[in-house]
Amino acid sequence: MLSASLYIIVCSARNRVRARLRRLREPRYLLGAVAGAAYLYFSFFSRMRGANRAAERRRRGAPASPAAMQLLYASGPALAGILMLAATIVSWLMPFDSGLLDFSEAEIQFLFPAPVARSHLLVHRMLRSQLGMLFASIVVAAVSPLGGVRRLQIALGMWLVMAITKVYFTGISLSRARLASASAHARRVAWMPVGVLIAAIAIVGAALARAWVASPPAGFREWMLLIGGISMTGASRFVLWPFIAVARPLFAEWPGPFLRALAEAAIVLAAVAAWVLASDDAFQDAAAEVAAKKEGGQAAAKGAAFKARATGLHLDLAGRPELAFAWKAAQQTFRLVDRRSLARLVAIMFSLSVAAASIGRGNGLAAILGAFALVGVGFSVLMGPQALRIDMRQDLRHLELLKTWPIKASAVIRGELLWPGVLLTAAAWALVALAGILSAAVFTHVSAANRVAVALAIAILAPALIFAQFTIHNGVALLFPAWVPLGSQRPRGLDAMGQRLILLGGTWILLLVMALPGAVAGGLVWLALRHVLGAAAFVPAAFAFTVAVVLEVLMASEALGPAYERLDITAVETVE
Amino acid sequence: MSLTLDHLRRTYGSFTAVDDLSFSVGAGEIVGLIGPNGAGKTTTLRSLAGILRPTSGSVRIDGHDIVQDPLEAKKRLAFMPDEPHLFEYLTVEEHLRLIGRLYSVDDFDSRARALVDELELAGKERSLPGELSRGMRQKVVIACGLVRNASTLLFDEPLTGLDPIGIRRMRETIVARARTGAAVLLSSHLLHLVEEICTRVIIMAGGRKVADGTFAELASRADLAMGGSNLEQIFLHVTGHNERSPTG
Repeated sequence: MLSASLYIIVCSARNRVRARLRRLREPRYLLGAVAGAAYLYFSFFSRMRGANRAAERRRRGAPASPAAMQLLYASGPALAGILMLAATIVSWLMPFDSGLLDFSEAEIQFLFPAPVARSHLLVHRMLRSQLGMLFASIVVAAVSPLGGVRRLQIALGMWLVMAITKVYFTGISLSRARLASASAHARRVAWMPVGVLIAAIAIVGAALARAWVASPPAGFREWMLLIGGISMTGASRFVLWPFIAVARPLFAEWPGPFLRALAEAAIVLAAVAAWVLASDDAFQDAAAEVAAKKEGGQAAAKGAAFKARATGLHLDLAGRPELAFAWKAAQQTFRLVDRRSLARLVAIMFSLSVAAASIGRGNGLAAILGAFALVGVGFSVLMGPQALRIDMRQDLRHLELLKTWPIKASAVIRGELLWPGVLLTAAAWALVALAGILSAAVFTHVSAANRVAVALAIAILAPALIFAQFTIHNGVALLFPAWVPLGSQRPRGLDAMGQRLILLGGTWILLLVMALPGAVAGGLVWLALRHVLGAAAFVPAAFAFTVAVVLEVLMASEALGPAYERLDITAVETVE
Repeated sequence: MSLTLDHLRRTYGSFTAVDDLSFSVGAGEIVGLIGPNGAGKTTTLRSLAGILRPTSGSVRIDGHDIVQDPLEAKKRLAFMPDEPHLFEYLTVEEHLRLIGRLYSVDDFDSRARALVDELELAGKERSLPGELSRGMRQKVVIACGLVRNASTLLFDEPLTGLDPIGIRRMRETIVARARTGAAVLLSSHLLHLVEEICTRVIIMAGGRKVADGTFAELASRADLAMGGSNLEQIFLHVTGHNERSPTG
């Protein structure tokens, strides 16, 4: 099986590279590749050279290892080990998918019926995941500010961390599945790591508590010293050893300590892999479940968890077709429970709001929430249309069906824009209202009248900017369908990355062009009324801007009609 | 004629998938479109349905050109593809309702109810496509095609994924629609189905029409009669695969 697995990996990689090189003959891929290469060069490699020069300067002038760095190197592995222990606890309580059991359709069709042990299939998946992890490790090393051999250390260390955690968390998933097994023996085996983990938590927790009572840490440095201390003494030293060993290669000095750390991490990897491979029965069940899911349909296999719940939205049998498209998209929105997307969105919003609050002008919960709402408005208006793709970008997958409908092309386009535009506008308005209510805490020196005027102006501008961007995105999807990833697809490769960058840049330029007439109209209104109305002049100015942009959106939907009519299903590509 | 193709040609880059194809299907006719893989059958059906734009030539549905007057042409057309394309977030009844709205179907509720019973979809009305078997999804696509009063029906491998009872029901459904005056064009590799229900057969090979006529006409043609006396033998003869197997 090992040779077959290597054969699959090598052939897949070789054919993928060939296919990507072959498609460079097409100008759009070549352009994308040039843009992607330029981005990589300026983001990573020029930074690498800068980092090397900085490292050289440090070597000549400043001391080799300042106190902070020494502290990081001494206590970093212990801190990383405790964090890994915490992640382990979380993964037992809230399991997540490490991706190791995500077999492709072809793997299920060819390898599952093949006369090979399930554990060999797991080895195959482990081997297959190595290329991606190696690439990610190299990227992390490339963006690291450190130079020289430290970069190689980081690449190797990161690869080990990723390889071990991927296998380890798969092992936890497999064990969790057996916790309620009908077999008493299987249950005992599955509960054993839980017992070991509880004992480990008790030992480390007790050591932390003792050290804290003995000498309460006053700051970050003391905390680091405390954590470093418990990792070197008593029973906690042994309990934390495997967790620390995973992270130690990232912090060890070159060459002796690093090579020793590498050997220790390799031992942990071997132990974790042996534990997972020993869970053969559990893997049988998990693999069968994956296969059953795949057979159950593509949507279920991809985890697109639509639930057939009643939404309360009724579609009348007569009326404008645009509303039927909006109804369709609304049904999709209310039926999609994509927890991962939601968690990502919340995490992004939270980080942005924390960042905004930390640089904000006020204190207290009201100021934090106000800043959060303001960032949310900016995100939903400026980035929302890029992220929310329940429009033509997603419906290109259903083009074969859409093209048979007797609906005017411009109505199809307007229908595709309608729901995502309304949804984002509603979100933006809610956040504007929240920001407006809390604005006194954020903008303490601005008068209430001015704050209300600006909030109203933003609320009027929001739909214009949102619909303008949706028009641009959908126009690009119709005019350059091969450049647009379908639905949740994420095409890979340097050229695909470059295409995304070009698209993003193009969208922003088009938005500026589209906003220009509205900006001129709004500016004129503001100039005419500012002496009469003061800050309240922003409101009619925003209104003029919005009217101009709405007219442009309507004209664009008509102008894009022929593009939809001409759009050929063969121009729509699926990713490799 | 309900459906008329005139010198239809469709290319993909330098490859010609359909070349100089002309034929008509009248009201009440069931025409079988057969041919080996890559003969151009699906490209032909997709061009008729307005999914692919013809490179040259014309397609008319009840006199309405699919390129010049697409809305009127599409109103009269129902295309049932071999691969069931459904919205994964809409239930069976919502798919039907959406079609009812987009095609302005009169008497939608009773038509939908009858179709759900006819195609044995009862009890699945509130299911999402992901909860249905492939055969059931195929039935939903067919129900969406039949819920409106289309004068021209295009079927691409309509029996794929259906169980024996479903196959029998589908055969009856197709024949019943033709009896009510619909023009039916049916592409299938199941030659016994074509022989059984089609009133006329068109054989395609290499993107071109190589034979067109009723089964009796084809069987009586001197050049084809030597192939054999049933549709399978004629098909193999026309497409150049008439060598007898060593055992047979």
